[in-house]
Amino acid sequence: MPSLHRLHRAALCAALSGIAAVSTASAEEIIIGAATAQTGGLAPYDQPALAGLRMSIDELNAKGGLGGKYTVKLLIKDTRSDTAQTATVAQELIDAGAKVMITPCDADPSISAGQLTQPLGIPTLTLCGSAPVLTGAVGDVMFGTYPADNVQATAVADFAVSEGKKKVFLLTSPDSTYTANLPEYFGKVFEKKGGAVVGRGTFTMGQPDFSAEITNIKGLADKPDLIMTAAYEPDFPAFIQQLRGAGVTIPVYGADAIGTPTIKALGKLVDGVVYTAAGYAEPGSKLEAFNAAFTKYAGHAPESTYEVNGYEIGLILDQAVKTAGSDDPKAIRDAIANLKDFEGITGKITYAGTDRMPLRPVALMRYDGGEGKHVETLIPAAADVPAP
Amino acid sequence: MVAQQIINAVSLGGVYALLALGLAIVFSIVGLINFAHGELMTLSGYALLASLVLGFPFPVAVLVAVSCGALAAVAMERIAFRPMRGASVTSLLLTSFAVSSLLKVIFQNGISARPQAVAMPGWMTGAFSFGDFTIGVGPSISIVVSALALIAMEVFLRRSVTGTAMRAAAEDFDVVRLMGIPASRIIATAFLLSGLLAGLAAMLWVAQRASVDPLMGFTPVLKAFIAAVVGGLGSLPGAVAGGFLLGIIEVLLQATLPAAIAPYRDAIVLSGVIAVLLLRPQGLIPAVRVQRS
Repeated sequence: MPSLHRLHRAALCAALSGIAAVSTASAEEIIIGAATAQTGGLAPYDQPALAGLRMSIDELNAKGGLGGKYTVKLLIKDTRSDTAQTATVAQELIDAGAKVMITPCDADPSISAGQLTQPLGIPTLTLCGSAPVLTGAVGDVMFGTYPADNVQATAVADFAVSEGKKKVFLLTSPDSTYTANLPEYFGKVFEKKGGAVVGRGTFTMGQPDFSAEITNIKGLADKPDLIMTAAYEPDFPAFIQQLRGAGVTIPVYGADAIGTPTIKALGKLVDGVVYTAAGYAEPGSKLEAFNAAFTKYAGHAPESTYEVNGYEIGLILDQAVKTAGSDDPKAIRDAIANLKDFEGITGKITYAGTDRMPLRPVALMRYDGGEGKHVETLIPAAADVPAP
Repeated sequence: MVAQQIINAVSLGGVYALLALGLAIVFSIVGLINFAHGELMTLSGYALLASLVLGFPFPVAVLVAVSCGALAAVAMERIAFRPMRGASVTSLLLTSFAVSSLLKVIFQNGISARPQAVAMPGWMTGAFSFGDFTIGVGPSISIVVSALALIAMEVFLRRSVTGTAMRAAAEDFDVVRLMGIPASRIIATAFLLSGLLAGLAAMLWVAQRASVDPLMGFTPVLKAFIAAVVGGLGSLPGAVAGGFLLGIIEVLLQATLPAAIAPYRDAIVLSGVIAVLLLRPQGLIPAVRVQRS
């Protein structure tokens, strides 16, 4: 009787977490559990996001905690970028009394942690996981924080259409939700707006050699105007190096995972590559001020917009506790789900009326001379965004 | 198109052959599959990055990086494997896993979890064109370097005294020692050569990938292991043959499979490996093993 067994376990967990909360937390303390990758393949994404979250928690605690009332105890455990390990540490954090759970920048480990928090009603926020299927796969406690893949893809497709691009080659990898689906979302929007998908290719994450795929691209009878991929490091540098090495000059577009120092450091090689970000530090903007404050806090400048996204998670939680007026996980969950036009650092964030993937602006960026230059910031029309 | 794909296949196969040969040289003498071979590559990659950052000219940086790989292999033998000499195959295997994990964590926490971009000189991303046909400078260098390294290794093993001793040791180490050849020197040389090959392979690998990261050694060592097993574990010509075969099969499958089936490429390759081993359990070119009663 698996369902009964699960029920028992959930009840036991709830009881245990209750005991733990009573024994370890004072009345004014709220425990936030962070099951995030500090080592392994996801670490380059989780580490900056967590640094931003830490900064906001430190600042909030200095002002009396979440909602000015509940001092935050941030418990951090390493998932080693492993999905099974994520479930293990999430359980440990629940046992330690976590009332809010933070999960890694990827759908699979976030879902595994969500399976544990969902029956207990603990609000769970992924750091920068952007797969729109993520929240549906877990249930009503799971929240995305970064612009969703389908939203990002729509923004890039809108931009490509506005540039007069007609034909696209989609390069996907079935190895992660992000790399598999984001280019396909792009394809859907692009086709709907009059473009054509002239070819598709796949790669295995971590594969050394893209030459066969690149030769196929070169051999296409119908030459594409652009290549859309959600490949990220170390695959993206390999792909672009080998693509340009083979003498192919077709522009390459991607999404948020290539807005990193590693890709930027490729210099001329990535000139013209378009990508997305949660925001852009215009002079005089809130984000510019955040970047300066973060530099002071961490001793180095933010690497990407994952830092500010992590920081905004702290602000969202603060607002939610304020609205809920309590540290009850269910009340916090409801408050996040009803958040509307919340002023973050990068712009307005809305959860109300969504399936818990936030509506928020997407900044389009383009590498030029070793720098990411801002092209435009937009919120795609909801009607254009393909269903997850 | 077809000619282009053949060049792609040979270029990838050459790198796999270098890697598999590096594994096989050590295995043939010590009976150790060194799973930390990939981390020797990572180390060479970081050495290349460091030399370039320090402003060394590119050829010097490559030289430094390859030497680092070779010296690190010798150091690894001295520190981790020599105390384990004579231990069971399982203990040696676990030691190599331990060394590999240790180095990965050191790279990750000591340098950065994020891949570091390595800016290759501009000419390396160039391409020669002959009419419709383009061949990249990178793949060409890869083919030339692998060929030269494999030939040099063959000459060394056939013509030099140490090389002859190593081939003999691969067949029957005990008899070689009875002939008065010091075991430690043979083993150290085997590790030196394997490190040299790892260093060279790393240069080709990094040139293709434009970045180094703490985990980059995993895929190559896995491919090298598969290639060495298919070729015949412990057989040096077998390792080379296995490496080329694996590279050629991978590229041909990637080139010809329809997009819907392409994600199953690795599964198909590995099924092929199983089929080869069912037909020839000792590999394509089995190692010579002296049976003693």
